[in-house]
Amino acid sequence: MAVGKILVLVGRLALAGVFLFAAYAKLKPQAAVPWSAGSVRTSLSLFAMQVDSYEMLPGKYVSFVAHTLPPAELALGLWLLSGIALRYSALVTSLLIAGFFSVIVRAYAMGLEINCGCFGPGERLGKMTLVRDGSFLALSLGVTIGAFLLHKRKREPIPADAAIPEPQRSN
Amino acid sequence: MGASGRWKLAKRRIRDTMLPELNLNHASEDDVTHPPQPARRKPGFAPVLAGVVVLMFASLSTTLAQTARTRHASTIAARPALTAPVRAFGTPNAPIKLEVFSDYQCPVCRNFYEGTLRSLMATYIPQGKVYLVHHDFPLPMHQYSYQAARWANAAAEIGKFEDVEAALYDNQAAWSTDGNIEKFVQGAMSPADFKKVQKLMAGCEPNSHTCAIDEIINADIALGRQIPVQGTPTYVITSKGQKYPAGSGNVSWDIMRQFFDSLLSQ
Repeated sequence: MAVGKILVLVGRLALAGVFLFAAYAKLKPQAAVPWSAGSVRTSLSLFAMQVDSYEMLPGKYVSFVAHTLPPAELALGLWLLSGIALRYSALVTSLLIAGFFSVIVRAYAMGLEINCGCFGPGERLGKMTLVRDGSFLALSLGVTIGAFLLHKRKREPIPADAAIPEPQRSN
Repeated sequence: MGASGRWKLAKRRIRDTMLPELNLNHASEDDVTHPPQPARRKPGFAPVLAGVVVLMFASLSTTLAQTARTRHASTIAARPALTAPVRAFGTPNAPIKLEVFSDYQCPVCRNFYEGTLRSLMATYIPQGKVYLVHHDFPLPMHQYSYQAARWANAAAEIGKFEDVEAALYDNQAAWSTDGNIEKFVQGAMSPADFKKVQKLMAGCEPNSHTCAIDEIINADIALGRQIPVQGTPTYVITSKGQKYPAGSGNVSWDIMRQFFDSLLSQ
């Protein structure tokens, strides 16, 4: 069980790293320009083009998703890193990754020759993308289940007939 | 409880919060009323999770390597172009340069042309904001796309590229089935111009390998492989000397315009 706990810890930290890196890759300047509000805006607009290439959402929703997803990934990565309310952070992570995975599967099944956009531009959507995101999904599910099991184990009530150690009395 | 005791308790609570996986191995206030239960063995969970972690890191490292290779290739593509483009719209010194690698028989390229490039050519190009350059990248899976590219390049030689490009995309569904491209090219220009194009197309029959126009198309393909172009349409945007990572797929005009506006505002 100690091995399981350590793996849940490693998995949580790995997922936190993935989301923090994903947010960084989308927000950072995509050309040799310095960081600025303008460069972040440009990067998010470039990410919007990648979101649009999935041909799933109308234009106004594309912009909304493109401008809110990277900050949400950043927040989720920090939440996972903190370990606070692990059950809920892991559950949100699993739901988000499941959403990503379903979108990628759809695009692959449709034969769209597009970039994934998962970790910034430049990554082709292909079989390795499916394998990678599938492994992320499996990991997040494992961490979620582990977090719920750990919490359940911590909160299980003592049996009614269990012996309660008597306090020591000094003579 | 003294100050050191309170500090120890605070440290423990911080550790319990940030490492909830490990907070069952020491006695706490809760353990008096809720003592930890004996560990029950859960067969198969830990090895599966370990395997998933290994697989995840392996696939992530492959992704990072692929992204690094793509970015390195994009750096190579940033070096001076091979030849001056023949099929371009707008002024070369516009602040934004959009290079599009496309296949005339590709349906997504058609949607991209009809939905985005047409709007671009009606607005930001005459406004001097964007310089659009077309590159051919006929895909092997499309039987007639290379021949269509030959006709378009022949038309470009006499300054009729825009009309023929529009005719090819507008009638893509028709000529894609039987390869009869010539009639649509003929319908896009005057008889005199069409005669000139026919002369340029001498030796460029569908199965010919001696067509002089092929040099232009093959140069575009070689340029595209440096990026690398892995599907069409693929576009490369350059602004103020900075080349942005190549994108691919259909992008609506509204979304692309937002990107152009953000570049222009910098």
